Amino acid sequence: MKGFTLWFTGLPCSGKSTLAKHVEEILLERGVPVEVLDGDEVRENLSKGLGYSKEDRDINIRRIGWVCKLLSRNGVVAIAAAIAPYQEIRDEVRRWHDRYVEVYLKASIESLKERDVKGMYKQALAGKIKNFTGISDPYEEPENPEVLLETDQETVEESVNKIIRTLELLEYIPTAETETEYSADEEEKIKTRLKDLGYI
Amino acid sequence: MAFKLFGRKTKKACVIGLDGVPYTLLKSMIERGVMPVTGEIISRGSLSSMTVTLPEISSVSWSTFMTGKNPGEHGIFGFTDLKDGSYDLRFPSFRDLKTETIWDLLGKTGGRSIVINQPSTYPAREIPGVLISGFVAIDIEKALYPKKYLASLARARYKIDIDTEKCRDNPDLLFKDLDALLECRRRVLDELWTKEPWNIMEIVVTGTDRLHHFVWDAWEDESHPHHQDFLGYYRKVDQFIGYVYSKFEREDTPENFFMLSDHGFCQTKKEVHINTVLEQHGFLDMETGDSADLTRITENARAFALDPARIYIHRRSRYPKGRVDERDVAGIKEELKGVFESLADDGAAERRPIIRQIFDADEVYSGPHAAMGPDLLLLPNNGYDLKGKVGGSTMVAERRLQGMHTWDNAFFFSLRNDLSDTSDELQIVDVPWKILRSVDVGA
Repeated sequence: MKGFTLWFTGLPCSGKSTLAKHVEEILLERGVPVEVLDGDEVRENLSKGLGYSKEDRDINIRRIGWVCKLLSRNGVVAIAAAIAPYQEIRDEVRRWHDRYVEVYLKASIESLKERDVKGMYKQALAGKIKNFTGISDPYEEPENPEVLLETDQETVEESVNKIIRTLELLEYIPTAETETEYSADEEEKIKTRLKDLGYI
Repeated sequence: MAFKLFGRKTKKACVIGLDGVPYTLLKSMIERGVMPVTGEIISRGSLSSMTVTLPEISSVSWSTFMTGKNPGEHGIFGFTDLKDGSYDLRFPSFRDLKTETIWDLLGKTGGRSIVINQPSTYPAREIPGVLISGFVAIDIEKALYPKKYLASLARARYKIDIDTEKCRDNPDLLFKDLDALLECRRRVLDELWTKEPWNIMEIVVTGTDRLHHFVWDAWEDESHPHHQDFLGYYRKVDQFIGYVYSKFEREDTPENFFMLSDHGFCQTKKEVHINTVLEQHGFLDMETGDSADLTRITENARAFALDPARIYIHRRSRYPKGRVDERDVAGIKEELKGVFESLADDGAAERRPIIRQIFDADEVYSGPHAAMGPDLLLLPNNGYDLKGKVGGSTMVAERRLQGMHTWDNAFFFSLRNDLSDTSDELQIVDVPWKILRSVDVGA
């Protein structure tokens, strides 16, 4: 099993941590070694003390990217869930990797405000939180993500399926073990239809 | 401070698939005044004849259409394959498609699709938008993504297909069921048109293929008791096309209107059983028994066929009882070509060659999955329906169905002349890229 890095990028509350957790569970079920580097957790340890200036944000992303690189080259799937608002630094991290999948969680500010149970958007809009991405700090949309999720329109299940399907198509992860796509009854019906139409 | 705005794709395209409708038949229907609405639309755009991928069957053609790739890349070579390490048949599903669909590609740019009755997408999986699988779908729940539209399908009294078993020998029931099927497609289109944002709306009419298989004679013979019924069904298809177009005309980019078929059709004269040809010429050896499948194959067999005319060399490296070494493959292919080049219908008034062209798989397939496919593909002359069935006693037999597929004489229509191709070299693999271009998605 070759490792790779799966990077979730998107505005605050777009669903990065939630989806990272779901994907982690599925990969573990399939016997794939996984580590998740969640942006909030990283700021409590690896990047403790860093602020939210562009410089500090870049340092934070480089640190996460570096750890992802080490993990992935040792056969681990490294999942990063961090805003990573700047294209340039995302591109830099991508260049460090042989196998890299960027997942962009797209959602309107309106929907994120509604989803934000901690009221961070409200506070940012009121000027109580400074350098808040999407409100008072920029977020540069990824130009060419491998996976685009519209998390204000999709269910979690739909988004997770989209990611897993992409990883399967890239042959980065094994396909789910399924006995068969069709039940025995369905196979018989399909056979009958194909016979009726002269195919077999 | 400048922010990049979240943009949503706004351009739209509408695609109508007419399963198995030949270019020449469509033109004839228009010229005769059977399809006036379609004729009027087509007069404003560009209609082209088109060839499809090989073999010329829906599962392969539609997989090519939905991916813009050849079978060597998308991995679908027929309605049937053999299970790994065995000679039992399996039926490739949507999960076997090895590459992304045009709906996935559109989705990457933020676009969404609504796809109704698309063959070879069963069981339905997630796409950015809505997918209702067509043939060979069985269970409506498994044929739908996302499931939240089950109620919409129920309201539309949606059916996946006609009852082929009952309809094949009962033309009255066939015409009744075909009408009902077209109606339920229209109802579900109405249900979904405004329910979801979309950029590509695609709907496939498969009743045309069923009609052609079962009562093609009624088209060729004006005195046939069902000739008028045949034309009557096409009148309804014409109304259906007009209905869809009239809805699409009200959208912002009505010029992005496309139609296509997945193969042509012609009258069947005889069935030709390729495995029987192989047996009688010493390439296929079977143990005696009743089972009409390849499980009786022996180690002496050098080749076998899967439907319709995909020939596989019985390689040691690929099959449990295979004994052909790689170094012998080229020689066996040449022997096989000799047999099929001289294969003729001796029962016809004039001795007629059955095979029009023999393709080496290397000529027609490329890509990482080409090795999963057959070694040779046979293309028949019109009228000779090649079959991969096992256990036939005669090489050339009476036909069971009236119509058969053709590789060429499919059609593509684009209302936009800049996305048309009248070069006589248009292939189905080119079509999806044109549709994607119409909504600003590059290849």
